[in-house]
Amino acid sequence: MTSAGYGAARALDADGPRDDGTGALSRLAPPARRFLARRKGVLARLALWSLAESGQAFLVGYGVARSVDEGFLAGDPRRGLLWLAVALVAVLSGAPVVRGVFAQLAGLTEPLRDGLVRRAVDRSLDRAARGGPGGTDRAAVSRLTNQVEIARDSFAGLVLTLRSFVFTAAGALLGLLSLNPALLVVVLPPLTGGLALFLCTLRPMAAAQRRALATDEALGDHAARSRAALRDLTACGTGPRAERRGADLVADAAAQARTLAGWATVRTAALGVSGQLPVLALLVAVPWLRARGVSAGALLGAFTYLVQSLLPALHTLMTALGAAGARLLVVLDRVLGPVPDAAPRATGPSQAVSTACHGRGCGTGARASADVVRPVPGPAAPAVDLRSVTLSYGVRAEPVLDALDLRVAPGEHLAVVGPSGIGKSTLTRLVAGTLAPSRGEVRVAGHLVTGRAAAELSALRVLVPQEAYVFSGTVGDNLAYLRTDVRRGELDAAVRVLGLELLVGRLGGLAGPVRPAELSPGERQLIALARAYLSPAPLLLLDEATCHLDPASEARAEEALTARPGTLLVVAHRLSSAVRADRILVLDGVRAVCGTHEELLGCSRLYRDLTGHWQAGPPQRV
Amino acid sequence: MWTSRPWGRQTPRTREGADGSAPGRAPEALVLLCSVGAAAVAVAQPLVLGRTLDLLLRDGDAGRWLPLSAGLLLGELLLDSLTSLFTGRCNAVWTASIRSRALRGLLRAVPDSARPHPPGDVGTRLTLNAADAGGAPAARAALGASLITPLGALVALAFVDVWVAACVLTGLPALALVLRTFARDTGASVAAYQRTQSLIASRLLEALDGAATIGAAGTGDRERARILAPLAELAAQGRHMWALHGRALGRSNVLVPLLTLAATAVGGLRLAAGHLSVGDLLAACRYAQLAAGIGGAATLLGALVRAREARRRTQELEWMPPLKYGSRRLPQDGPGELELRGVRVVRDGRQVLRADHLRVPGGSTVAVVGRSGAGKSVLAAVAGRLIDPDEGHVLLDGVPLDRLTREALRTEVAYAFERPVLGEGTIAEAVATGSRQPAPEQVRHAALAAGADSFVQRLPHGYDTPLAEAPLSGGEHQRLGLARAFAHAGRLLVMDDATSSLDTATEHEVNLALRRSVRRGTRLVVAHRPSVADRADLVLWLEAGEVRAVGTHRELWHRAGYRAVFGTDTGGTGAEDVTPGDEPVRRHEPEEVRP
Repeated sequence: MTSAGYGAARALDADGPRDDGTGALSRLAPPARRFLARRKGVLARLALWSLAESGQAFLVGYGVARSVDEGFLAGDPRRGLLWLAVALVAVLSGAPVVRGVFAQLAGLTEPLRDGLVRRAVDRSLDRAARGGPGGTDRAAVSRLTNQVEIARDSFAGLVLTLRSFVFTAAGALLGLLSLNPALLVVVLPPLTGGLALFLCTLRPMAAAQRRALATDEALGDHAARSRAALRDLTACGTGPRAERRGADLVADAAAQARTLAGWATVRTAALGVSGQLPVLALLVAVPWLRARGVSAGALLGAFTYLVQSLLPALHTLMTALGAAGARLLVVLDRVLGPVPDAAPRATGPSQAVSTACHGRGCGTGARASADVVRPVPGPAAPAVDLRSVTLSYGVRAEPVLDALDLRVAPGEHLAVVGPSGIGKSTLTRLVAGTLAPSRGEVRVAGHLVTGRAAAELSALRVLVPQEAYVFSGTVGDNLAYLRTDVRRGELDAAVRVLGLELLVGRLGGLAGPVRPAELSPGERQLIALARAYLSPAPLLLLDEATCHLDPASEARAEEALTARPGTLLVVAHRLSSAVRADRILVLDGVRAVCGTHEELLGCSRLYRDLTGHWQAGPPQRV
Repeated sequence: MWTSRPWGRQTPRTREGADGSAPGRAPEALVLLCSVGAAAVAVAQPLVLGRTLDLLLRDGDAGRWLPLSAGLLLGELLLDSLTSLFTGRCNAVWTASIRSRALRGLLRAVPDSARPHPPGDVGTRLTLNAADAGGAPAARAALGASLITPLGALVALAFVDVWVAACVLTGLPALALVLRTFARDTGASVAAYQRTQSLIASRLLEALDGAATIGAAGTGDRERARILAPLAELAAQGRHMWALHGRALGRSNVLVPLLTLAATAVGGLRLAAGHLSVGDLLAACRYAQLAAGIGGAATLLGALVRAREARRRTQELEWMPPLKYGSRRLPQDGPGELELRGVRVVRDGRQVLRADHLRVPGGSTVAVVGRSGAGKSVLAAVAGRLIDPDEGHVLLDGVPLDRLTREALRTEVAYAFERPVLGEGTIAEAVATGSRQPAPEQVRHAALAAGADSFVQRLPHGYDTPLAEAPLSGGEHQRLGLARAFAHAGRLLVMDDATSSLDTATEHEVNLALRRSVRRGTRLVVAHRPSVADRADLVLWLEAGEVRAVGTHRELWHRAGYRAVFGTDTGGTGAEDVTPGDEPVRRHEPEEVRP
């Protein structure tokens, strides 16, 4: 009971739907029906075991009644004990029955958990693939495991209590009927009355529970955020504001708790009505029942049914349905419900200053028609061909890239430089085909990349992002990730040429295990680079993929990748890396200029700034 | 307080407990009163009901006993309901009070002292732990009552029939024994289950970190299979857990009926022997059941123990050392002169900063350099009072910082951090956050100066884009933090490594803008790059928490130790900066006024 409840509270994320629960209920009903329909066998077996359970409840009460009537009261203690022995057998058979129930229960909860885990993993991967904001949501993962467990536990609790109540009640009522039908006439009205009262409270209570969970979650989030921002709150002097907001949230939570307390009172009263009033009714009706031939033992049996079977079943039913039901609804809706739209989509064409960067030579940055395609040296199909590519993240937003033309010849090494956040990564994603342009077209080796399947794309190019992906597995698995049929000799060669010998040796060779958390960012990048080196794709896209390497390792890696047959497009973190390229593309948000190092020094002020802005005199090659 | 208001109505803005005041004894007392009443009624009930039943069976008329039974049954119903109501309200008011106190303690604390508590942990403390702790007073009251029922039942049982009572008494220890094996059985299997679960979670995390690679390589299906591979094992472990659960529960579920049955057998024999009536037997069975309910007290006791632990956890927040403010204001139009006198900062028994006498002239820019761990950030924190020094004083324009009001201090001292935390709301709101509320054009102006305007313009809704929906990189985040500081720049601006994620060109532009378009004042700049140190009027070189030297970058550059600071600290990433060993080249912009 540490983080699980908080997880439940956190389950209501800000982006989730907020309603009184009816929306969630109608959303969840179809999948719930499908889930149960596929498990008719399990449900039938569960019903059978439960039937055995109600049979047991029936026998206990019946045995007690008969033992008194035919045994102890009739002056035949032996017969009484015999009937009690029947009840005893019934009680003892309870243990295997419970075991059977739990075995069937596992047949419901485990598939539910599997399904939820699958769904949650799919959803997280999808969201990450679409490039949701704010990087990796680590909290989402822990919340996810928490939420799935909460759903599993609540579901199990609900199934257990609902089932147990239905069958116990059936057993007890059947028992009463068998003792004397007149007993039912007395017991049923208050029992059903109390149940009706309880059922009436169910919906408002669930809504109150949801609201209470939501306010709790809001408070927890506020507290967590305040802690994360404590230094900034103090430095900005906005602590008192956060305190006032916190006090409001605390008051909200208290108000919700008081509302819940009110409903809990009604629920307790309902429990009392359906539990205590039948006893009172039975007492009041004793003369009437006696007149109808109800024996003393039957009365005792009736009391036993009420107090020993019905009352506990009622109690657990009311506790479980109130708390676990609302929680299950919330969590299931979170995992299965509609996906909040995370990433802003690139939309809308826009008119703007177009920029040009054609072939060799220095683009002037003047307006150039998007249609103009100048002849380029080299083969007919350039390795990369961008034609008036525009991308913006929203209708009102300024474009990140604006009518960009770019051709890279096969075998060429192009570096992209520019201030951070200017669209360099966006460019690599466009070329890689993982992002669609708002306008214009992107071709790799003559093939249009937009809308192409990932498998086809991966034959054309490799994208190595700044955050190197290394997974738990062997070193060999990690290196051969993009070419699973690679030969041992090629692996060894890649390790050698990229300078990975020491690292691979430390990890225990190619069969050694990799634990990503134990690698430095630079080591992870080296592994990703070696993987790219081994890939069969002709175009390599490095998006600051060497930023954590020291300059010497970076130079070595880039040399190896340049020597590899194929085209290289590098988003440079350091200028030393850019200078190694055949051509350099300078992005500055308004213009794009492309040329060799010397050409750019002549015609790009930004490039001069980048290479030696703080050095006096003419900029020089680093 | 709470009695004056009907329970069903929502009162979202009442401050019951939300102001942090202790709720007093009254809510608890009501819970105690009602639950003790309910317990007494529950104990009396079987006896009276049995007697009533006997009379009814014998004479067909129970006289006053029937109304008495009805009274007891209805009384229990009423008292139970009231107990439930008062418990809920008692918990609510105590929880609110504990939450308010903890939150206030956190928000008024020295930020540094919150280091041991990660945000998720604080969230748990304020929600779950506070609720657990807030349940303590009601649980204490209920504990008393919960002991009354089984003990009273035993006494009453002995009164009805001593033999049945003896039978129940011998059966009770077996109950405790079975409950204990339950905990032992399930422990190990739960641990295995959780291990497999975290294996899936950590594989998912890895894949999420590598989303760009996976997306580009089209290996999503392979990754999915890899992540979900342990699921089969998890299912097997889950089934095993349920099996164990079922076995344990089966055993403990048998016990109470068994005890009741034994009591019935003994009672039945006594009935046959004529020592007991039918009503007595009914009462005896019920008492046996109530006596077995002594396990409920153990649950409450567990809740109390948990509540005490939870209370300790909330009190850790409540009692964090506060950052108290004074009542003085700064002199009008002061230049922003910063002075450290005999300052010592000790952390975990180790001195992390010593500055005997340090004066930063008003209006100057001072770079603070040093290896990591040299005390740069500590100095930055002391300079604007994010922490108080353990000894000595920090003065701004002659006034000790700890004498200033919060408003005076925070409007005149602005901070920019390496990793700013921007809070909620839109980009514009995040930049505007501070003790002064800048106008929209000032926000835009500050963002321009911080080099943030260009990427903000590219966001879906520009400045009105909610932060949560803005795909921001670390460098962009940092620039918004800079913009926030620029928008609130007072006479002292402290920049703690606040341009580290910017490339050199952007950093250069930010520095130009800082000089041209942000309110002039004293600047304290923690930096790793020689270019920044070079642009400063004065460099403060820290080593192992002490001031190693003060001078201009050019003067200090002749010392190998000073050059080494940049060599190691920048690693490879400062390649466009000066390579160690080179003579620094002065910039060509005009010099600032030297102190």
